[in-house]
Amino acid sequence: MQKKLIAIVVVAIVAVSAIIAGWQLTQVPSSEAESEARSIKIGLVACYEKAEGQDMDRAAKMAVQEINDAGGVYVAEWDTNVDIELVIVDTEDDSTGKAVSPVTRAVLEDEVDLLIGGYTSSGTLADQVVAIENRVPYIITGASSSLVTRRGPQGNYGGLAEDNQLRIEDEEGMSYMFHYCTTTADYSKTVVNFFAESMKPLLDSTYEFNASRNLRLAILYRDDAFGKGVKDDSKAIIASENLPIDVVAERAYPATATNFQTDLTAIKDAKPDAVYVVDFIAGTSEIIKQGQRDVGLNTVYIAVECCEDPQLYTLLGEYGEGQLLESKFAPYAGPPFYLSAIETYVTDYQEKYATLPGMMGADTYDAFYIAKDAIERAGTVDKAAVRDAIESSAIDQMLIMTETGKVEFSTGVNYHEIAPVTFVEQLVWNEDVGECRSVIVYPDTAPGVGTLKQADFVLPAGYQSGSP
Amino acid sequence: MSGLVETLLWGVVNGCIYILLATGLNIIFGVMKLVNFAHGQLLMIGAYVAFTAATVFGLNAYLSILVAIVTIALIGAGLERLTFRRVLGTDKLNEIFVSLGLIYVFENVAVLLWGNKLKQITSPFQGLGLSLGEVSISYDLLLAISVVTVILIALFILMKKTKIGLAMRATSQRSDTSMLMGVNIEKVYIFTFALGAALAGAAGALYGIIFPFNPSIGALPTIKAFAIIMLGGLGSIPGAIIGGLLYGIAENTAVYFLGGIWQDAIAFALLIIVLVIRPTGLFGEKGE
Repeated sequence: MQKKLIAIVVVAIVAVSAIIAGWQLTQVPSSEAESEARSIKIGLVACYEKAEGQDMDRAAKMAVQEINDAGGVYVAEWDTNVDIELVIVDTEDDSTGKAVSPVTRAVLEDEVDLLIGGYTSSGTLADQVVAIENRVPYIITGASSSLVTRRGPQGNYGGLAEDNQLRIEDEEGMSYMFHYCTTTADYSKTVVNFFAESMKPLLDSTYEFNASRNLRLAILYRDDAFGKGVKDDSKAIIASENLPIDVVAERAYPATATNFQTDLTAIKDAKPDAVYVVDFIAGTSEIIKQGQRDVGLNTVYIAVECCEDPQLYTLLGEYGEGQLLESKFAPYAGPPFYLSAIETYVTDYQEKYATLPGMMGADTYDAFYIAKDAIERAGTVDKAAVRDAIESSAIDQMLIMTETGKVEFSTGVNYHEIAPVTFVEQLVWNEDVGECRSVIVYPDTAPGVGTLKQADFVLPAGYQSGSP
Repeated sequence: MSGLVETLLWGVVNGCIYILLATGLNIIFGVMKLVNFAHGQLLMIGAYVAFTAATVFGLNAYLSILVAIVTIALIGAGLERLTFRRVLGTDKLNEIFVSLGLIYVFENVAVLLWGNKLKQITSPFQGLGLSLGEVSISYDLLLAISVVTVILIALFILMKKTKIGLAMRATSQRSDTSMLMGVNIEKVYIFTFALGAALAGAAGALYGIIFPFNPSIGALPTIKAFAIIMLGGLGSIPGAIIGGLLYGIAENTAVYFLGGIWQDAIAFALLIIVLVIRPTGLFGEKGE
């Protein structure tokens, strides 16, 4: 009798255990499939120590608020709209040593669904490895080095030598990288074409130079991936397009430099017609000021688009007058603006933050809408599906103009890049605001926009040309 | 050619700033046998003090140098009394770690008080200068050289013609004997540290007039000041002057001919060459 009782108890325990185990097993798949709706976590990779990073932060918050206020993102898998949750990924000054840890934390601890941002090329090349290894879609809105999407097999390793440590062999991992930004080749092309098509004819007519005289260009650049990329691409485009430009000086300086007088003195001795300055806001403004004030190099300086920020205009003050800025977003060149979307963005941004927006934030703002569109088309937050959806994006251009008027990522050797339209602005002193504002001087038109040019390029007051 | 002349002038001005920094460091080391790795941070704080005096109180940029000298001298006296005196004469590592800690304290305080963006003191002579043919010389460069010359003459008089100068020289040779002769060593130490700090403060104010600065500008000049002392010879003030000038000119000439990325490499290569050929430095003596 007792044995029978024990047997019944054992059978009962086994049966109950089997039922519980079975119930638990049925719970696992549904948990893995994330059947419950939740907010979408998007990490903003930004250098909060710098003005550019703070602009990215403001733009991201604006985009997220707009999207959430409009009902959020529809996810078909959950059959509901969910909000975007912004995860701050603060890379401080975005140096290589500081960029990786916050991205690792966002990917592994915060478990973000997607990353947006990145600023310096060197910092992004370092931190993107975390996203590559963990298969997290990353829409890179800064980092103009084309290597950020070309360093893998799809981009033919960006031309890197076989033993170069920057090469990435992980083809699938690289497919999660997207570059929503101009590359060094994109804007170098605009800059050298401006010099050949617009400035050289003006110099020839003003100084009665022989038409066979080439424009004399000096390049002063940071000794990093960004600076070298611009210098190499500019020279390659001049050579391949046989442009009438001689690079009469090319000088690199440490990325930490703050004094440029001696480099500028050597450039002055080379007697250039123009100086291409390749640095971020602080370095660029110092070079332009020190060149005119301390060295007497009264020439045309052209800055790179990452300097399109209110801080540049403030730092330059009167030294900005007549100087140039290559850009793809011109919040100072209006109203009226060349795109109605910019008018709305600039007005909203000013109302919200009491300052004008910068270019880094404009890229970031667009990227949130690209992410929203991709997730809605994917119908899920599954990272591979979102990656495929970003790859097939075809939404209309927003703040950044593209050649086709659509946001489309290439799948050729220029892997996962867009085809942005860039232009050249000239700074003009504005007595009312006590600093410079800008006008677009090149090119005349842009696809899908029509007339872009707002004024003719003029030589700055006191300009001294290079040697005849 | 005109560019090279202008480069040499920039080198002399750079050298003048190095001279003040290295001379201050040399005096502290010579008298107290103390190695202060935070000396460059005193230069940085000096630049900010002068900047504040010029912008907040509207003081002339060159008068703000005096404010920086007095303020940094007081900070130096406080540092000596509160930190270095506690570890002086103990293990050398203690002094080194105190000074390394001070680097972070000064840099973080500067970020808190003034932020980390580049600043520059606006000189009334900004953008003005002499034109000698193709060579243009900024008045600020000429004034910087004049200010350093005046400071060095005053330092020479202090060291050679005053009682405290005599006490400092005696202490630098044999501190125990000086004590027996009635020299108040503690007073000499506090004055020496304040004097060295004041020279760093003057260097910082001049730096802030000529160049833009941020809280991290102090690190490299400290290493260069040590290199200049070794180049000129430990304990030798003329050595620090010649070493500083050589260093400034070598750096700028390297940048002119080779580019900015060679600035520090060439300067330190010069140090290695001198030390290989003459280990005691240009003006040092054996056993010093």
